[in-house]
Amino acid sequence: MSEVATGNGPKTVVALDGTCGSVERQARALAGFLRGGVHGDVCVETWVFCDDVCAGERLALLAPTGDVRLAEMPATRPDVMAAVLAEALPAHGVELLLLAGGATGTEVATRVALRTGGGALTDVLDVEPGSEVAVCRRDVYSGHMRGRFALTARPWCLSIDSSWQDALVAPALEHRVLGVVDAVAGTGPSFLEDVELAAPAPDTGIADSRFLVVAGRGVGSSQRVRRVEAAARRMGAAFGVTRPVAMNAWAPMDRLVGISGARAAPALCLVVGASGAPAFYWGIERSDRIVAVDPDEHAPIAAAADAVVRDDGVAVVEALAEIVTRRRSKGRRTT
Amino acid sequence: MRILVCCKVTPDFEALRESEWAAGAGSESEARVETRFTPRVLNCFDEAALETALRLSDQLAARGEEAALAALSVGGQETEPFLATLRALGFERTVRVSPGADLDFRPAATAALIAAAARYLGGGELILLGDRAGPGDGGTVPFRVAEELGRPCLSRVTDVEAPADGRLRVGWTADDGLRRATISRPCILAVGNAVVAHLRVPTLGDRLVVRHHVTEVLSPADLGVDLETAAAAGTCSLMGLDPVDRSRQAELIVGDTSRDRARAVYDAYVRKALEET
Repeated sequence: MSEVATGNGPKTVVALDGTCGSVERQARALAGFLRGGVHGDVCVETWVFCDDVCAGERLALLAPTGDVRLAEMPATRPDVMAAVLAEALPAHGVELLLLAGGATGTEVATRVALRTGGGALTDVLDVEPGSEVAVCRRDVYSGHMRGRFALTARPWCLSIDSSWQDALVAPALEHRVLGVVDAVAGTGPSFLEDVELAAPAPDTGIADSRFLVVAGRGVGSSQRVRRVEAAARRMGAAFGVTRPVAMNAWAPMDRLVGISGARAAPALCLVVGASGAPAFYWGIERSDRIVAVDPDEHAPIAAAADAVVRDDGVAVVEALAEIVTRRRSKGRRTT
Repeated sequence: MRILVCCKVTPDFEALRESEWAAGAGSESEARVETRFTPRVLNCFDEAALETALRLSDQLAARGEEAALAALSVGGQETEPFLATLRALGFERTVRVSPGADLDFRPAATAALIAAAARYLGGGELILLGDRAGPGDGGTVPFRVAEELGRPCLSRVTDVEAPADGRLRVGWTADDGLRRATISRPCILAVGNAVVAHLRVPTLGDRLVVRHHVTEVLSPADLGVDLETAAAAGTCSLMGLDPVDRSRQAELIVGDTSRDRARAVYDAYVRKALEET
C-alpha cells in the first residue's frame, strides 16, 4: 500500500458521494487512479459530499488526498451533487474533476460537463492532462477495442473505470479540512420518494473468490446451469454466470460476471460454455489461471485461457467435482 | 400514460473476427471497425427497456387504464425490421430519425436528436431507454437527454411497477445495492440489468394486424437539429483505436474421456487452487 502523491499541474477535484454506502470503495478507487491512472502532475484536493458536516469530518479520513473540502447534500441526490459542482468548480478554477465509476459518477460527470461547457467521459482507464487537451483511454466496442479520446473544453469531467476499485492505495496520512463548499440554493425536491435500500449489494463470494466457476450460454439450459452450480459448490468454488445466462433467467442477475456485474481475481477461474466476449472477460481477466471448457474450438475464450478442454462443460465439471470430493474424503480418512 | 422508448440497433460485435478488430485499429480517420456487413441486433439494454414498457402497459391495461406506447430509434434503414416488430407488439407509433451521418462516438449529437424527437412526439410522461449502447458504451446519453429536456433521470433501472395510486415504483442498482423508490413523472429511466431482459416475440397474427402501418421517418432538419453544432457541444473526440491483447498460452488438455480430461485439469490447476483456498 502506498500513499497518493500530489503536486503541481491542473487543479483537480476528486468528488466522493459520502451519502452512499460505497464511499470507502469510491475513495480506494480514486486513490488508485490518482496514483496509476493520472499521467502527469496535478494539484488535487478531495470534496466529500455528506448528509452533515460532522459525518463529513469522519468521512474525510477516507480521502485519498490531504486537502479536503466538505459539501452538504441530501442522500441519493446526484442531481444536487452535480448542481453544487457545476457552480463551484469554475469559481475554484478547477480543470479536472474525477468521480468513481458507477451510476452516480456517470450522472454527475455528464451533468457537470454540460452545465459548465466542459467535456465528459466515463469509465476512463487513464488520463494525461495537457496544456490544450486531456487525452483519456477507455474501452469501447464492448471491450473489443480501446479508444483514445481528446477532451478539449475544461473542466474535464471524468468518471473512472470500475477496475480501479481493486487498487490497494492508502488514504492520505493526514487530512486538512479546507472548508465547506456552499450548497446550491434552490435545488428542488427529489423526484424520488420513499427511497429504500431493498437489498444491499449481495455478497455472492464472486469478487473475493480464490476458485471461481463461471457458466456461459453454451452450457445449454437452466437445468444444466444448475448442475454446474451444484458441482462448483461441491468443490468449494464460487459460482457466476455470463450475461446471456442471466438474461435467459437461468441464474439470478446477482451472479453476473463481467462489465455490468462482478469482477473477480481468483487463483483459478474455470469457464464453462462461454465464448469469452470481452464484456464478460473483463470480469475474470485478473485471474491467475483461466481454464476454458468448451467443445467449440473457435470460441474466442480458447486463446484467452491458460488451458483449454474440448469437451462438454457439464461433464468435465461434474467429473472434477467427483475427483475433488473423493480426494477430500480420502484426505479426511488419512488424517 | 404516454410512454416513449428509445432504442438502438447495433452491429452484433460478437460476430466479428479478431482480424476484423485488428483492421479497425489506427489513429483518427483510420480508426474504423468495418461493421457494414455485420448482422444487426437490438442493444440489449434497449431491449430490456422495451419489455419494461410493455409490462407497464400490461399492468395498466389490467386495471382498465391505457398506455400509449411509442418507439423511437436513431439509425438507418437497418432499423426498420426491428421497428416493425415493435409495432406488432403494441407500439402504436414508431419513429426513426435518419441522421444521414455516422453518430458513433458522438453521444451529444445522438442525445440532441432524441431530445428533439421526444419534444416532437409530445414529450412522453415517461421516457425509457437503455443504460448504454455500443460502440461507445459511455452511458451518458440518458443524462444528456435529461439535461436537454430538463427532466430528472434515474439509471441502472431493474424494474418498474405501476401501483394503483397512479405513480410508479422503480427498482435500480445503486452503487451500494438494490434500491427502490416511488417516482413522480415526467422523468427519464435508463434501464440496466433488468429483471426481465428479453423482449417478447409477436405472433404472426400480431404482425398481420399492423402490416400496413409504417414508420415515420424524420431528418435532423425536420427536428431543427444541426448535427455538427450538436456534436461540437460534446467537446470530446475519438483520437484512435487500439486492439486489446488478452491472449494467454492456451494449452490444450487432452484425454480419452471427460473423466481423464477432468483429472488432468485437477492435477495441473485445481489441486493447487484448492490448496491456496
